[in-house]
Amino acid sequence: MEETPQHCLSRLPDNSALKQQELPAHRLYFTARRVLFVFFTTGIFCLCMGIILILSARSTQEIEINYTRICANCAKLRENASNFDKECTCSIPFYLSGKMMGNVYMYYKLYGFYQNLYRYVRSRSNRQLVGKDVKAVEDCAPFKMSDNKTPIVPCGAIANSMFNDTIILSHNINSSVQIKVPMLKSGLTWWTDKYVKFQNPSSKNLADEFRGTTKPPNWPKPIYDLDKKDPRNNGFLNDDFIVWMRAAAFPTFKKLYGRLNRTHHFIEGLPAGNYSFNITYNFPVTRFQGEKSVVLSTLTWCGGNSLFLGLAYTVTGAITWLASFAMMAIHITLKNKQMSFFHQ
Amino acid sequence: MERIVKANDREYNEKFQYADNRIHTSKYNILTFLPINLFEQFQRVANAYFLCLLILQLIPEISSLTWFTTIVPLVLVITMTAVKDATDDYFRHKSDNQVNNRQSEVLIDSKLQNEKWMNVKVGDIIKLENNQFVAADLLLLSSSEPHGLCYVETAELDGETNLKVRHALSVTSELGADINRLARFDGPDTKLMQNSGKTKFKRTSIDRLMNTLVLWIFGFLICLGIILAIGNSIWESQIGDQFRTFLFWNEGEKSSVFSGFLTFWSYIIILNTVVPISLYVSVEVIRLGHSYFINWDRKMYYSRKATPAEARTTTLNEELGQIEYIFSDKTGTLTQNIMTFKRCSINGRIYGEVPDDLDQKTEITQEKEPVDFLVKSQADREFQFFDHNLMESIKMGDPKVHEFLRVLALCHTVMSEENSAGELIYQVQSPDEGALVTAARNFGFIFKSRTPETITIEELGTLVTYQLLAFLDFNNTRKRMSVIVRNPEGQIKLYSKGADTILFEKLHPSNEVLLSLTSDHLSEFAGEGLRTLAIAHRDLDDKYFKEWHKMLEDANAATEERDERIAGLYEEIERDLTLLGATAVEDKLQEGVIETVTSLSLANIKIWVLTGDKQETAINIGYACNMLTDDMNDVFVIAGNNAVEVREELRKAKENLSGQNRNVSNGHVVCEKKQQLELDSIVEETVTGDYALIINGHSLAHALESDVKSDLLELACMCKTVVCCRVTPLQKAQVVELVKKYRNAVTLAIGDGANDVSMIKSAHIGVGISGQEGLQAVLASDYSFAQFRYLQRLLLVHGRWSYFRMCKFLCYFFYKNFAFTLVHFWFGFFCGFSAQTVYDQWFITLFNIVYTSLPVLAMGIFDQDVSDQNSMDCPQLYEPGQLNLLFNKRKFFICVLHGIYTSLALFFIPYGAFYNMAGEDGQHIADYQSFAVTMATSLVIVVSVQIALDTSYWTFINHVFIWGSIAIYFSILFTMHSNGIFGIFPNQFPFVGNARHSLTQKCIWLVILLTTVASVLPVVVFRFLKVNLYPTLSDQIRRWQKAQKKARPPSSRRPRTRRSSSRRSGYAFAHQEGYGELITSGKNMRAKNPPPTSGLEKTHYNSTSWIENLCKKTTDTVSSFGQDKTVKL
Repeated sequence: MEETPQHCLSRLPDNSALKQQELPAHRLYFTARRVLFVFFTTGIFCLCMGIILILSARSTQEIEINYTRICANCAKLRENASNFDKECTCSIPFYLSGKMMGNVYMYYKLYGFYQNLYRYVRSRSNRQLVGKDVKAVEDCAPFKMSDNKTPIVPCGAIANSMFNDTIILSHNINSSVQIKVPMLKSGLTWWTDKYVKFQNPSSKNLADEFRGTTKPPNWPKPIYDLDKKDPRNNGFLNDDFIVWMRAAAFPTFKKLYGRLNRTHHFIEGLPAGNYSFNITYNFPVTRFQGEKSVVLSTLTWCGGNSLFLGLAYTVTGAITWLASFAMMAIHITLKNKQMSFFHQ
Repeated sequence: MERIVKANDREYNEKFQYADNRIHTSKYNILTFLPINLFEQFQRVANAYFLCLLILQLIPEISSLTWFTTIVPLVLVITMTAVKDATDDYFRHKSDNQVNNRQSEVLIDSKLQNEKWMNVKVGDIIKLENNQFVAADLLLLSSSEPHGLCYVETAELDGETNLKVRHALSVTSELGADINRLARFDGPDTKLMQNSGKTKFKRTSIDRLMNTLVLWIFGFLICLGIILAIGNSIWESQIGDQFRTFLFWNEGEKSSVFSGFLTFWSYIIILNTVVPISLYVSVEVIRLGHSYFINWDRKMYYSRKATPAEARTTTLNEELGQIEYIFSDKTGTLTQNIMTFKRCSINGRIYGEVPDDLDQKTEITQEKEPVDFLVKSQADREFQFFDHNLMESIKMGDPKVHEFLRVLALCHTVMSEENSAGELIYQVQSPDEGALVTAARNFGFIFKSRTPETITIEELGTLVTYQLLAFLDFNNTRKRMSVIVRNPEGQIKLYSKGADTILFEKLHPSNEVLLSLTSDHLSEFAGEGLRTLAIAHRDLDDKYFKEWHKMLEDANAATEERDERIAGLYEEIERDLTLLGATAVEDKLQEGVIETVTSLSLANIKIWVLTGDKQETAINIGYACNMLTDDMNDVFVIAGNNAVEVREELRKAKENLSGQNRNVSNGHVVCEKKQQLELDSIVEETVTGDYALIINGHSLAHALESDVKSDLLELACMCKTVVCCRVTPLQKAQVVELVKKYRNAVTLAIGDGANDVSMIKSAHIGVGISGQEGLQAVLASDYSFAQFRYLQRLLLVHGRWSYFRMCKFLCYFFYKNFAFTLVHFWFGFFCGFSAQTVYDQWFITLFNIVYTSLPVLAMGIFDQDVSDQNSMDCPQLYEPGQLNLLFNKRKFFICVLHGIYTSLALFFIPYGAFYNMAGEDGQHIADYQSFAVTMATSLVIVVSVQIALDTSYWTFINHVFIWGSIAIYFSILFTMHSNGIFGIFPNQFPFVGNARHSLTQKCIWLVILLTTVASVLPVVVFRFLKVNLYPTLSDQIRRWQKAQKKARPPSSRRPRTRRSSSRRSGYAFAHQEGYGELITSGKNMRAKNPPPTSGLEKTHYNSTSWIENLCKKTTDTVSSFGQDKTVKL
């Protein structure tokens, strides 16, 4: 063993806390007191939160009118695709018993429409929608090109299947006077959608930019004619279009259609009374046994009037409390047993 | 196989295409690395599976995930493995080169030339000099020693440092000139390479379990795929049909069954993340970390030899926590192979060091001053003796003491030699004898030199030459050795030493009083685990001796019954002896062996000693290290010479054992592990009481035959201690294999020499003792360290932790991936079974390798349930590993259920919340992308909270990793949803602005919170109840630790154990027969030292007969070790 001291030293492992597995550490151990404390606190929190959520959900008002059946004749007309150019309107009167205070939102709601199908979700071209290259249709199968090989704008299955009913809400002050409730068609989308994700090609004349392309087969008019009056709501920037393009997670979904413009008569919201929806029925749902309805709703801090979250919190809180009592009981019994064991 | 070799004729030998002598342990070179390595890697099932998956993903019809979700992790994994393989191979190249480039002298073109060992060819004649390493099997042609003898050290083979004699064939021995040897076998053909067994790829039981589980998971996956495919077919025919024309234009003709078929594959792709590729990488990384901890452990660093512990294999660590059987070599492992003269009893008086821990005698040791020897210049410096009384007796001239030391100096087979510095060096062939002769030397009776007829010793300063009249050699039945010498005064004396049991029978009746006294002393020595010998002498009458000697000569000349006649004559003269006393030589145990053995037995690990040594020696060591005790109910010795005897003995022992079992009612009950009942598996029996089994190599050979095998195993497994002695390396391996195969237990073999290689290789874990000259054991081993006692720390601390961590890691990992993946299954029911993923593709790619890998790795590497001190103090903590409690199929199911529950909570709570939800500003939040972000965020938070609960040892690294992972998740999320990256790649990052909008909604956070609470709290309840109602030992220790955080635990509660035993050791010499003949014939003495002519009759032996004799005797010991790959000359 003629090893130099240096060599010996170099083979001696470092005395660092890491290498010797002696890092200062906190040993996590669940003492009964800690666990029970956490459980009781969580229980209280969940119960309170649940009650608050239920109360706030109950404070909202919502009216949903399913117009699949009501407008049965229109639905029948739409089942035959060849009647696409025939207009069909349908009026649905209803009575609002109490007034809807504050901001009122109008949604259309579809049942059984699978916007989350794998191929459906992918069938869009973000490159086209951002206005960079309107002819970029590579991801849009099967709605890439029309039969004569012109690229479709906007391409893809999502765009093709866009919801195209028009819904007008009128307030019937009395049997003869009917005023249209003013609805805003702006601010329906996320800021990033409107200003980042969807952009028109940079040109004054949209129609020029979209030359050499064609409209989706289901659409009655091309993209640049969606809203001729307002250039900021036309083309890819159309709010209804953007809203539709944000695919829903589940086959039943609602999408924002308009916001109440709180002016004049409606400054506080929707007063109680007789109303009617005048619907231009274009979107066929009966073909796939779907349904559609229109929803008027007010909102609170936690969204709409869904009770699920509130109930779920309440139930969780209650179970947590029950569990903590049970645990406490078990713990105390065991402790007593141990004590008596030691006394013996 | 017949080999024809012409010496020194390379051209002729080349015809046979013998292998060259280059050692190849490396696998690749630069060119072949990439193809071979890739080929090897894709042979691993996991990698091949992911490759298939990748190919599936490239088919557009079924691709439900983009290719990068698989290729990124796959490339990462393959690169990491390739880098590791490359570095490993680089080091192999280096060590190969080192061995291959050693120099040797080869006779080429009739002159000696320097040649590298790798260029040595079969048939070459090689010249070796003293102390050279040998890297081939050689045939000794001749040597510079007389009669073509040469002494070989086989430390690299068996760890024994004593020299073994080899002799050249008489035909070639006259060739002279140093040592010439003929290369016989080269490179891979050497005996060692052939004998060492094939290196098997070792895998841990966790590995095997993991593979089974992965297969189950695949099965599960296929079931899920089938369910979803059927769902898809139904959905397509019921709803999708009408939908298709509407959504998908003109694809109306697609059949729903075909769509279901495609969906099946799509879902296989999506759900494959249940077994993520990162599982295998993480397991490797954790094991690597554990291996480094072993390398870094200062408590396993042996400073005297500057040897740290080394984990040579990085894939077996958790198996260290599951060991049930340890197979240990003796020499060099349990013992240091150093014999020291400890105590003696002369004429009824005890001299020598007393044990430290016996209080009544400590006065003597307190002086702690070694005896000042008479002849300092000639004394061996390493020898120390602490009792001054002996020296005083010598000085006072006690004749019995003088005679006693004279026997030690005269009656032996040691050869003396002077080295360059003029110091006296003894060449010993048994370290016991060395110890005795050295002791005599230090006490003033110095053995100086010998010739065939004389022995010269220096007695207290005066040179005395004794005439050696006869040498009555040792053999196994005689168990004694005697010399008959004539001293200068002309008296003829017979000096004898041997096993007490044998020698006591030969004593003169007048010795009775002394005999009983000495007998007591011997018991005391034996109680301390010392090897004892009785010493006696006899004065012979001149006439009687002459008569006897004549008869001996006649007997030697006889052709018939020669051996028997000689033996009878030996018996005849060795009687009426006068007892002088007894010696006690310590076969020094390695440090801390007793403590380690005790502690490991407390951990319910069974230790079997497999040794090439003799039965007595082995038993002796068994007692010395507390494996055998007097408290044992019975010790069975199996020493039958044929199959029938062995079977009979085994059966008897078993009957004995079960008979006693019935009688003993209040003994300690050893419940053995439950076992699946295989065909030949042993029916478990509960054994009461402690038993030991001792079996020797011959009997073992019979016992290992197939029909007795189960008897042996059954008996052996019921015994607390098993000692196998005189076993060959192959038998060692067979015993290991036997236990491995039929017991289904995890085995560990520990040894230091080349004779342990086969056993080290066949055990699940092989441990080599490093820091010694031999390297084979270390090279073949999986772990190596310098001292046996480090085994305790390796198993109880490192092994236990590794197992604990690995199990926790696996539980968590399976849980995590089930929770992660199964949401796709639930979502399938809401998206028309269209193989739509719940998460963003990028999230799927990164989840396992970025977002959740580090915290679980940190837990897998650093977690500790109890401190190392606690696991050393409380060996019982080791048992969960042996019983496989922490990760088994049941645990796996619990983890899977936990994962399934979490995935349900993860999916259905957001689903319920999103069903009729609107944002605070009335805008979307129930869209697919927001749902994906909510789910992903919930998942990351839930699994992070879960790992936080699982981590029981929070170092800053855990903090950094856990908080860091969450932080990284959010930063990557916001980056990928940012405007900038969308501007560059609009198609790859469609989630722009999502995080910003979703995660500012209060209700989304409420959903995430509720999901977390709902998934985590039940687990806490479950664990709380488990700890309270069924606490494990480690839970109790942790609670206790918590309670006494400040108070240091007592360092060790176990007292140092010393046995007090009445057991006698036999003649425990590591001794070979035949040396006596060598000495009396003078064959091993140099010619330049001409024997003085003596007036007395010479003893003549037929020279061929002794060679044959020697061959016969040596081959059965030597051939068992005889893998002369690297023999030190």
